[in-house]
Amino acid sequence: MSDRAAIEHAKQEPRAEDDLHRPVIGFALAGAVLAVLVIGVVDLPRAAAALPFIARHAMEIALPKWGQNEVVSEIVYGSRGWDTFGETFLLLAAVVSVVTLTRSPEPRTEYVGESMAGRQEQQEVDPKGDGSGGEQQEARQAEENEEDDASDLAPNSDNVPLGTPGPERAAGMSVVVRVGARIAAVPIAVAACYLWLWGYTPGGGFPAGAAIMGVAIVMYTAFGHRAVRPAVRPAIVEPIELLGAMAIIAIGLFGLLFKDSMFANYLTLAVPGTIRAGGTNQLYSGSEFIEVATGLTIAIFSLLGMKHDWAPDEDGDDSEEDGSGSSEDRSSDGDGSGDAS
Amino acid sequence: MIVANYVAAGILFCIGLLTVLTRRNLIKIVLGLSLMEASTYLLMVSMAYRRHSTAPVLTSPPDGKSFADLVHGDVADPVLQNFCLTAIVIGVAVTAVFLSAAVRVAQHYRSVDADDMTALTG
Repeated sequence: MSDRAAIEHAKQEPRAEDDLHRPVIGFALAGAVLAVLVIGVVDLPRAAAALPFIARHAMEIALPKWGQNEVVSEIVYGSRGWDTFGETFLLLAAVVSVVTLTRSPEPRTEYVGESMAGRQEQQEVDPKGDGSGGEQQEARQAEENEEDDASDLAPNSDNVPLGTPGPERAAGMSVVVRVGARIAAVPIAVAACYLWLWGYTPGGGFPAGAAIMGVAIVMYTAFGHRAVRPAVRPAIVEPIELLGAMAIIAIGLFGLLFKDSMFANYLTLAVPGTIRAGGTNQLYSGSEFIEVATGLTIAIFSLLGMKHDWAPDEDGDDSEEDGSGSSEDRSSDGDGSGDAS
Repeated sequence: MIVANYVAAGILFCIGLLTVLTRRNLIKIVLGLSLMEASTYLLMVSMAYRRHSTAPVLTSPPDGKSFADLVHGDVADPVLQNFCLTAIVIGVAVTAVFLSAAVRVAQHYRSVDADDMTALTG
């Protein structure tokens, strides 16, 4: 049974909304989980409880062993350095998953001769090889038009005069939002860099990376994708992210080499409160900043930049179901989308 | 009454769970998962709280306190703050994975209704 036929078959069956079994089971399970959670949380430490051993241990070693005042940073990059390493590569795995899910379909290679067969077919459809062959050219043209749509309407959102009657043609938002974004982006970026380089020494690469990514999101929201495209191109961000990941691995391995322990400090400790405080933790924090900032940027902009790779119609007669938006999408999808199958 | 925070975190978690169990819209399911995730942040930050304590930073202790007071535990729990810090960043990336999968599924099935995803039905 094809996917489309299966959907139609499923729609003919009694739907869950026609009966109450889903809400009843949902409320019963959620209520049971809530009861277990309430029983559990009443025994959790209260506000007057003593700190657990591991927290007290971290407080005691932060200054003498790592030479740093910020205990949370000491835990992130020191006491739990190995765990942070695992979490970082969990982040990297998530980014790879997003990139894999969001990328456009790739042409098939010579795996079982499909490419050769495809070339023969292409030769029959398009003997000149210049893309002048009917439907394919139309589909390609439609896709190019869609990509250039924003630039055709408003090359620069700042060029749209105030009071221009609607509909809004600018790729960005109103002048109020654009000015607000310009003003907000600078202190956010400065705060992120301060947190990265200094913080309570060493800085906090994790929150700083998320904050600097916030600048890109603010600019994207206010000015549209074209304004941030040069800074968030995969060709730029992906190598930087991999460099950050390699730096983290190198910092850990040098600790193993020099001090017999992954992520052990092998640098001379500087005076607490100075920019070099924390030994290798400052390097780890900087690498983490790169990794988090670029990783989140890749994940979010890959998601925002997903193309309209809609599955082609099997029967071609349901155009009235999806409205004009879907028909536009289909027109730009002449080569099908086997990636999701 | 920090227990109220704990219970609130539990209720938030169950609201998210209820959303996942009772909604068929993939976007709402992702929102439910995000709500469950956010409830753990509330739980961890609440568990880190200590009455009359200060931040776990070993500089400039407040009036009437010394470095010894800070080192010997008169601060919020730094380990749980660390858990929360990293969980938020990982959570953003994982939510992006969920949403990417939801968009791909919607493009393939032309639907965001989980009941329409019948490819694995026997």
